[in-house]
Amino acid sequence: MVGQVSLKQSVERIALWAAVALVTLIALYPFVWAIITSFKPQRDALQSSLIPFVQFEPIIDNWNAELGRTGRENITALKNSAIIAVGATLIALTLGTMAGYSLARFRFGIGNRNLVSWFLSQRFLPPVATLIPFFLLLQRLDLFDTYAGMIIVNATFVMPFAVLITRDFFADFPKDLEEAALVDGASHVQVFLRVALPIAGPALVAAGIICFTFAWNEFLFASVLTVREAQPFTVKIVSTGTVRGIHFGFVSTRLLMAVVPPLILSLFVQRYIVRGLTMGAVKG
Amino acid sequence: MKSANRARLIFLLPGALWVLCFTLFPLVYSLGLSFTDKRMGRRTRPGEFIGFQNYRDIFQDNRVAEVMEMTIFVIVGSVLLTVVLGTFIAWLFNHEIPGLRAFRSILTLPIFAAPIALGQLGMILFNEQSGPINHMIRGVGLDPVYWITDPWSARFAVLIVDVWQWTPFVFIIVLAAMQSIPNELYEAARLDTSSAWTMFRRITFPMITPALGTVTMLRLVETFKILDIPYTLTGGGPGVSTQTYSYYIYLEGLRFFDMGYASALAYLLVITAIIISSIFFWRVRHRYDIE
Repeated sequence: MVGQVSLKQSVERIALWAAVALVTLIALYPFVWAIITSFKPQRDALQSSLIPFVQFEPIIDNWNAELGRTGRENITALKNSAIIAVGATLIALTLGTMAGYSLARFRFGIGNRNLVSWFLSQRFLPPVATLIPFFLLLQRLDLFDTYAGMIIVNATFVMPFAVLITRDFFADFPKDLEEAALVDGASHVQVFLRVALPIAGPALVAAGIICFTFAWNEFLFASVLTVREAQPFTVKIVSTGTVRGIHFGFVSTRLLMAVVPPLILSLFVQRYIVRGLTMGAVKG
Repeated sequence: MKSANRARLIFLLPGALWVLCFTLFPLVYSLGLSFTDKRMGRRTRPGEFIGFQNYRDIFQDNRVAEVMEMTIFVIVGSVLLTVVLGTFIAWLFNHEIPGLRAFRSILTLPIFAAPIALGQLGMILFNEQSGPINHMIRGVGLDPVYWITDPWSARFAVLIVDVWQWTPFVFIIVLAAMQSIPNELYEAARLDTSSAWTMFRRITFPMITPALGTVTMLRLVETFKILDIPYTLTGGGPGVSTQTYSYYIYLEGLRFFDMGYASALAYLLVITAIIISSIFFWRVRHRYDIE
């Protein structure tokens, strides 16, 4: 019976689509709600209205207050977040790519499997366990509340992502080109810089983005190791309490500023998410 | 091959030394601290060796018993719910769905949001007077829930936010595992049965078990760390009812500066993490070898 769809089948399709729509709605709803609320005056924010222009008159006062002249501290904190996250990403990517390359191309006596596990295992460490030593260490080194201190801490936490993703990339990539260059008399370092790195572009970008988002989102260490000068945005949004109750519009605006950069970046690393977040245990 | 010998070290050492300096050193240092009575702030103590006293104190500490209730609730609740929901959603999306990639990108967004910001978002979504969740609950004619002031409701609020953030993580991993199941298996089974449940039980589930094991362990380690969400959502309250074990370590060590004791608390967590990660890497490490 070609062309005829049974009743049961079409009911199943409708149920499937309804479930898919519901799941998508639940995943998006909090973000959408925050976006809408960020354009509402406080009076309307306390109501359950959702449709701009019909149910309430949208305003940009919240955004003005948070990003304009009165929001200068927010801009500073966002800048601090960016400096720390970019710095940490650069260090993690440089050291991580070198390590990832060596672990994909050379054999080590201890066993590559053990070395890679060791590099990755620190993603499993509960961060609170190293919080106190870092606090004392940075004070001793005079790096408390500095970019350098925060960059060191974050580079350490995100390095496993760089090692993992670049190692995976090189391990899957044929080494013929590199061997040809070696035969031509190039040194290993030259081969790495001139042959291997250029082909690894996409993997490097993906690793960089994942490192950046995790460093950008870091809160625990930032809350302890910074007070003013190097305070990133994650700490800033917590410390700016409102005096008279919670101002829904301000809170929404601020949390969107924290959340939007990583969310947009995440769209570019879809191919690497599964591998990256499972330490390579599941190939996605 | 002497040059290769030197080259591999040139590449490996900078990263390895960095990790030694900034991971191993702090870990050894805090192990040392955990055997001292070091304290900073108002009642400063330089830190004399007191043996296992801090570890003995943990078992006498009533607060530990209190925070364990929340900790176990969140660990069990979050791991169980994210794995079950994530697997179900993966199963839904494993049907022929046009635009699957776009859906997948949308669903994975929560993973990349800063937990601290999600805690804040939760704080307004769960606001007892005017939050949208209580609006909805009132809308269907029920009594509003005291998400922030009632201990168990507050625990559920924290759990819900965490589950909302991490279900997508289970979803994409299990979906990847499901999509690698060869179609022939399903076609062969279709001759025997047409029940979706039987197909899931006989084919899908056995094939995704390894991925489920991996994902459960990763979730387990991740839930031990939960701190950001209760920090902003409930502030650990009411009372201490949403304080997790990690949160308690943070307060002891860096609010009350009882560093020796906090280090001992932290070390119990480190040992747990080492056990889980050993099992994890023992299972997957063969993937890290090169041919």
